[in-house]
Amino acid sequence: MHLDVWTLALQTINVLVLVWLLARFLFRPITAIIAERRAAAEKLLADATAVQANARATEAELARLRSGFSAEADRILAQAHAQAAADRAALLQQATEQATQLRKDAEAAIQRDRVAAQAELDQQACSLAASIARRLLGRIPAKSATAGLIDTLAADVAALPEATRREIVTQGEAVEIVTAVPLGPQEQHACRDMLAGILDGAVEIAFHSDPSLIAGIELHGPHARIRNSWKADLERIAAELQGDKSSAVEARRLA
Amino acid sequence: MIASPLATSVAFTLGPVPVTTPVVATWGLMALLAGGSWLLTRRLTLHPRAPQAALELLVQAIEAQIRDTMRVEPAPYLPLIGTLFLFIFAANWSTLIPGAEPPTAHLETDAAMALIVFAAGIYFGIRSRGAKGYLATFAEPTLLMLPLNLAETVTRTFSLVVRLFGNVMSSVFVVGIVLSLAGLLVPIPLMALDLLTGAVQAYIFSILAMVFIGGALAPPPADSNREKAPA
Repeated sequence: MHLDVWTLALQTINVLVLVWLLARFLFRPITAIIAERRAAAEKLLADATAVQANARATEAELARLRSGFSAEADRILAQAHAQAAADRAALLQQATEQATQLRKDAEAAIQRDRVAAQAELDQQACSLAASIARRLLGRIPAKSATAGLIDTLAADVAALPEATRREIVTQGEAVEIVTAVPLGPQEQHACRDMLAGILDGAVEIAFHSDPSLIAGIELHGPHARIRNSWKADLERIAAELQGDKSSAVEARRLA
Repeated sequence: MIASPLATSVAFTLGPVPVTTPVVATWGLMALLAGGSWLLTRRLTLHPRAPQAALELLVQAIEAQIRDTMRVEPAPYLPLIGTLFLFIFAANWSTLIPGAEPPTAHLETDAAMALIVFAAGIYFGIRSRGAKGYLATFAEPTLLMLPLNLAETVTRTFSLVVRLFGNVMSSVFVVGIVLSLAGLLVPIPLMALDLLTGAVQAYIFSILAMVFIGGALAPPPADSNREKAPA
């Protein structure tokens, strides 16, 4: 068995050199690029993990904001509902008050219209009654009706205050005797005597007739006015009726 | 090749140093491997094309084999183991080149690689265990085993030499004999078998180198074994 020492030495050196060459040009670059790729992959995974964590954090933040929006929306909705309820109650209260006021106004207007209509009806009724009475009394002869009233005129003049009767005489002014039918001379004379006797003095008297009196006699003076005629009686009755009706209506309103 | 398998022809001499044909063939393989590596690794990118992907696959396969066999991180051992595998593989397959004779068919080349593995075992053993610890491994499990352990260290190195030399030399020798006897096409199946044998021998030499070097290293921690066992 022959072993060439030179060849053994050279081959040993060759293999060692080849180890260095391949380590330098093959294994080191390849392992470096593999490590670099692994590092890049790990960095990519780390970045992806970070992005995922960031996305989850963003999602959580969005969920929190969404819940906040929901709560805010609920709060605003509740506030709007409360405001709407308050406005509705206020409007309802206002409408109720307005309706009550309108009803009261309407009732007052109805009452006023009713009172006015009642007054109108009363007026018409009084006028109708006066007209009926006037037509009925008109059938009585005015002369005979007036004759009876001269005595009542004397009583009325006598009932005047003393100062008034004195002024009628002392001032000398003419008094006016108004009758429904003209008085005859005797009746005028009787009137002058009656007044002179009651007033204790002569009085200048002017006689006139007024058919609207229906019947009766009236004295018109500057200081006194005595109405003793059916027209005056009817007007007085009508006024009394009006006064009674007004009093009755007022009493019902106060009740 | 029908001459004596132990004889080496001198290609030329450098002064007193005779340069034999296996040395010249080794230089050629070194130029091919180193130049090819330089060309293929000039422009490595994170998005590899087919050549780069093939190289990465090869390197990662060697790393995985080192990790599985030696139970250690492969980085310190990758250049030696990877170079041994690639060189033996390329040398054995150099028979595809007409007229080329694989340097591994000569005893000196195999002996050189076995010596390197032997020295690497001592180097990595001392680096891992310390000189005292490494020497103590020869007395394990008892001091009586010291002669046997020493003999084993030497004989397993010889076994590396003889195994590779015998397989490659015999394949080349058989192909040469058949070629001289049976003409042009008959040796082709034997040459194919020679390629298979060459690849297997490259793998076996690398595995045995890993086993011998790994046996010199300190045993990994139990936790490390459990973690690496699934890989």
